[in-house]
Amino acid sequence: MELLAQAQQFISLEGWDKEGLSETKQQQQKDLSSREKFIKSANAGKILANKCLRCGHIMLETIYYCEKCFGNKFEPVEFEGTGNTVTYTTQDVAPEGFEDTESYAWVVFKVDNAPFRVSGFLPGIKSAKDLSIGTKVKVASFSPKHGLLLQKI
Amino acid sequence: MTSYKANEEDLANVAVKNHENGILNPKAHVQRKITVDDVLKSPVVASPLKLYDCCPFSDGASAVILCNEEFAKKVGRPYVEVIGSGRGASPAAVQARKDITTIPSTVDAAKQAYKMANITPKDIDFAEVHDCFTIAEVIDIEDLGFFPKGTAVHAIREGATRRNGEIPINPSGGLKSKGHPIGATGIGQVVEVFEQFIGKSGDREIKNAEYALTHNFGATGASSAVHIFRRVG
Repeated sequence: MELLAQAQQFISLEGWDKEGLSETKQQQQKDLSSREKFIKSANAGKILANKCLRCGHIMLETIYYCEKCFGNKFEPVEFEGTGNTVTYTTQDVAPEGFEDTESYAWVVFKVDNAPFRVSGFLPGIKSAKDLSIGTKVKVASFSPKHGLLLQKI
Repeated sequence: MTSYKANEEDLANVAVKNHENGILNPKAHVQRKITVDDVLKSPVVASPLKLYDCCPFSDGASAVILCNEEFAKKVGRPYVEVIGSGRGASPAAVQARKDITTIPSTVDAAKQAYKMANITPKDIDFAEVHDCFTIAEVIDIEDLGFFPKGTAVHAIREGATRRNGEIPINPSGGLKSKGHPIGATGIGQVVEVFEQFIGKSGDREIKNAEYALTHNFGATGASSAVHIFRRVG
């Protein structure tokens, strides 16, 4: 018990806990704003990406360090949220919390004119007959529960 | 399946073969003979995977004693030798992979292990691989260099991965039949190699095996481990 009290005193003297908390909070706010930017674009049918200022590599906005050079300074680039289905799986028994959808496909698609793929949620797909590889899809909106909501086009 | 003209029956063949082996393993979780038809008629979990394409959740434990050769000889009990070890990493998100029919972490880990052991995939007599789902075993055995890309499904169909085949895969029954007690699965594969090498694997024994390989991954292949073992004596 004495040791614990000493440790607590040390932590509070150093101000470690307070600083630690505020850093976490700052990080959370940063995450939130980055996520909000992505959601705003998605609701407008677009995909927000980052271009590395050091090497020019383009990747999803949600990535913090460049996949190629580990740089962490980016400029935003927006792409049309359309592309071709690369692969998908269907769920015709919706898990708990997803009952509202009845059936859906989780789709990976290659974003047109962008060097990356994203995944999203396409409602109303019951089996492989309802969706074939290569089908053109677009981002319809963003749902806090399901992520990117897609539509066939 | 689209890229290599494989079908759901090709995946089912993996499950049927692993159950065939698991029946001979007294420690297997699901000791039941199944047919291709049983797999195809089982409920869809996430298309094209059905219930019998997926391994069960299992309870289990496994342990090995790691020691140097001097100690092993002094103790005087049977032992096997680890001659190669490799570890690889790849993106966990499926959409972040350039090709979803390969797991880069397996390829990297296997290369390191073969190099350390100074042998090639052709030298391996049997392997225990991570068949969490039937498709995983198909991808694994190509990534480990046993079959050229896109050909594993044909080899499986012809029986190449059965106990009497060219390269027996998962003689223990694999995750599919022996079970998948997550944390104990990797070491459980090593236990199978040990039992095979010291003649304690009963009717599922791969005769005259000298080299064996184990392959285990986590998080859709974000991290893979490959080990190569040699029979002693």
